[in-house]
Amino acid sequence: MLSHKIAALCAAALFVPIVPAQTATLPAPPANGEMGFVFAHFAPAIHQGDQDCPDGPVATLRDNYLQTQASAERLRLLEKPNEAELTKRWTGYAFGPQGTNICTHPDKFDRPSQRIVQGKVAQGLDLDGGADAEGCDHDPFTSPTGQAGVDNQMWRAMGCVRTWRGVDGTGGDIVRGLTQFLISGEHTQVLLLTGVDSLSDDPDVTVIYANSEDRAVVDAKQNFMPDASYTVVANAQHRNVLKGRIVGGVLMTDPAHIRLRQSWGQGSERDIRGKRTEYDMTKARLRLTFQPDGSLKGLVGGYQPIWNIMASASIGGEGAATTAGYDCAAMYAALKKLADGDRDPATGQCRRISSAMEVLAVPAFVNDTLPATRVAQQ
Amino acid sequence: MIRALCFLAALGLTACSAEKAPQSVSAEPSFVPLKAPLGQIVAMRRLTEAQYRNSIADIFGPDIRVAGRFEPIVRPVHELIATGAASSTISPAGLEQFDAMARAIAAQIFDADHRAQFMACAPRDVAAPDPDCAARVLVPVGRYLFRRPMTQEEVAAYVMMAGKATASSGDFHKGLELALAAMLVSPHFLYVVESAEADPESPGDLRLDNLARASRLSFLLWNTTPNETLLKAAEQGQLTDPSQLAAIAGRMVRSPRLEDGVRAFFADMLLFEKFDEMAKDQIVYPRFNPDVASALSEQMLRMIVDQLVTQKGDYRDLFTTRRTFINRALGPLYQAKVTSTQGWVPYEFAPGDDRAGLLGQAGFLALYAHSGRSSPTLRGRAIRELLLCQPVPNPPGNVNFTAVQDVTSTAMPTAKMRLTAHNSDPVCAACHRITDPLGLPLEKFDGIGAFRRQENGAPIDTAGLFEGVAFQGNIGLGKALAASTSTTECVAGRAFQYATGRVPEDDGALAGGIEQDFAKDGYRIASLFLRVATMPQAYRIAAPPLAAPEIAMTTSKGVHP
Repeated sequence: MLSHKIAALCAAALFVPIVPAQTATLPAPPANGEMGFVFAHFAPAIHQGDQDCPDGPVATLRDNYLQTQASAERLRLLEKPNEAELTKRWTGYAFGPQGTNICTHPDKFDRPSQRIVQGKVAQGLDLDGGADAEGCDHDPFTSPTGQAGVDNQMWRAMGCVRTWRGVDGTGGDIVRGLTQFLISGEHTQVLLLTGVDSLSDDPDVTVIYANSEDRAVVDAKQNFMPDASYTVVANAQHRNVLKGRIVGGVLMTDPAHIRLRQSWGQGSERDIRGKRTEYDMTKARLRLTFQPDGSLKGLVGGYQPIWNIMASASIGGEGAATTAGYDCAAMYAALKKLADGDRDPATGQCRRISSAMEVLAVPAFVNDTLPATRVAQQ
Repeated sequence: MIRALCFLAALGLTACSAEKAPQSVSAEPSFVPLKAPLGQIVAMRRLTEAQYRNSIADIFGPDIRVAGRFEPIVRPVHELIATGAASSTISPAGLEQFDAMARAIAAQIFDADHRAQFMACAPRDVAAPDPDCAARVLVPVGRYLFRRPMTQEEVAAYVMMAGKATASSGDFHKGLELALAAMLVSPHFLYVVESAEADPESPGDLRLDNLARASRLSFLLWNTTPNETLLKAAEQGQLTDPSQLAAIAGRMVRSPRLEDGVRAFFADMLLFEKFDEMAKDQIVYPRFNPDVASALSEQMLRMIVDQLVTQKGDYRDLFTTRRTFINRALGPLYQAKVTSTQGWVPYEFAPGDDRAGLLGQAGFLALYAHSGRSSPTLRGRAIRELLLCQPVPNPPGNVNFTAVQDVTSTAMPTAKMRLTAHNSDPVCAACHRITDPLGLPLEKFDGIGAFRRQENGAPIDTAGLFEGVAFQGNIGLGKALAASTSTTECVAGRAFQYATGRVPEDDGALAGGIEQDFAKDGYRIASLFLRVATMPQAYRIAAPPLAAPEIAMTTSKGVHP
């Protein structure tokens, strides 16, 4: 137990609560020590600092195309009678040789990085303890509560994208979109805590962090209903078993490789619907605070492949470029430049980027499934 | 009834010239037209929606889609839909719906995918009328639809109708399709026509004849149209023989299909049609979504069927059983873990859980509540009227409801306090004394049947009183109902009413006798249904025969009976 306590203290030192724990008002855990939750929110952790984007939000593909033109030509194209010509030219800017397009193949286009966050403050966790021998140099943030060493280069790269950043304290469209995926059952995520003796302090808690095939049970306002039942997926790949502890009403888990399924749609191949991708986070941790209403709030942090950060735009292909106006090559350049994890020994380029997802999980009944027996086959 | 027939006539079903039934029709029983005249019609009971759907599925297969809206059968006050069905008309708009459904059903049956299983022959020319083949197809189908062999006039009329339609469309199957659609809007299909014969046991009186008994048994016990075995038994005169009737009915109550009959009976007895119009205030009850709404009635029926049919349990235990069923939609409402991702799973409440019994089910609690608040009065009234058969008078028109409707009152935070204030008016108090002591024990369940410990922060008093016995909560209420003979007398009487369309009080001591037999049988529902299905009194005809129906579709030479 002493080793547990030391580990707990060390882990506690790495993290800073986002939501202060109110341990005095926390209920007692169930007698069987088992607590289930379903995620009602899982989206990039947004922090809208005043100094983040001094040059404005990330430019659109149209804007970036215009910047490639001489001043006089740019002014001519912006005249109303020339709108059709401009549209034809900037959408053409999304395509390369041999049928490539800027969002499906952003690495085939040599474009400058998009604007990145200049501010010093962001949400996130200290994923590398200040130094990671397998990572790359980066400029960590300070958390909103003053904790240094926050690793969230994903936010630095993407925090000036309009659809991420949002306005006036509300996150962008990505937050609503990802919430909708939770509601629709395409990204359903559940937590099952076992061995919980106290919501204030417990040195040894097992956390099963998994997907479920079950569609969310929501009320008339599309809010997740507490006490609904979910069954863990049979696929052991998406059933992550983590070791954790509770310190001062905050649940923390040890670093682990966490993989979670993302189903984009119900199977149609017309557009991004039907695609299957993953949340793939290495050295990932949960830091969740028990709330008096029984929910959990906090962060999930880890290193994600840079391709995964822009999966939605990439799957969207030319539509993401010509309709949404994403300059995916500029996005890719920013992510590649800021990647700080999983350094390729051969090239020195990091292939993953630190990230933080803000989460809310509400109480649920979770039916666990034992991992399927794996039989070796030739 | 006559109105309904007139509406059918008004539809203008093809009037055709008389044509003899084909002579070459096989002598197999199902191909033989009815030569004897129809018996005296003593009642016509409209098919319920479920009976219509079940009939189509059983006759033509479950893959035949029945799409459309059914005009509801009006329920007489304090009675059953089964009783209302005996005096139900069909409006012109309702008939249009039946006609549209009939045409859609007939089109499916004679489409290329389905027709082979119904075609007893191939037409000589697929583009020309073939009366012989048409009759070979339509006569057996008509026997199932009308629950008796068709008369010669009917065969002639439908065959001719098919022939004319074939001639105009150039398609034999289109002709059959039109004839079948006409059969599906015939009163002989839309109504269960009960016909009678002289009762040899009681000269001068009538009793239901064999074919009418086949329909009675089938709709009572299985909620569907008679099958081949039952029709054959009727055609052989077995159903007027008490011992053979008992043997056949006994086999039917032992069939798994009794579940359909029991479901239909309790859906009628407990006014389940109200679920279709139940609405809850989304501001007050955001948890009440369409999935929850659609699961509530099914949960109650599953509990009833499990207790009474699957477990073959005592009816009284329905009010105390801890066994029920649950699905994912209802899990949050019950704050219960549901172990299956899809469908229903058995669920047992913990000992002492106030949810036990039929009255603790969210369906009952939500149905008998207002859209934004619970209602001890509505719940108490429902228990009195539906489960104890004790009608409660309607409130007078000038009642001041201010006190009971002030649900956020800090001075009177609970429903009991508000009702106490309301009952300071002695006119109100008289009826509330009947209802509220049965509804207040359920106050720990809100207007959608979710458990609550307090109301407006105040503790909830669930004291109740029934037949001089005081108790607490739903568990106490369930035990009190289970111990009362009013409860068992009520269901026994309802079963007779459901079977016959008659109120048992009409038959004097009959209701008491049914209840005594029910008691002897250990209050088993199968035994109750068997008794009702076999008791001679249920087949005796008290009312005078109806006038013979007139249908303008048979021939152009005249209207045939």
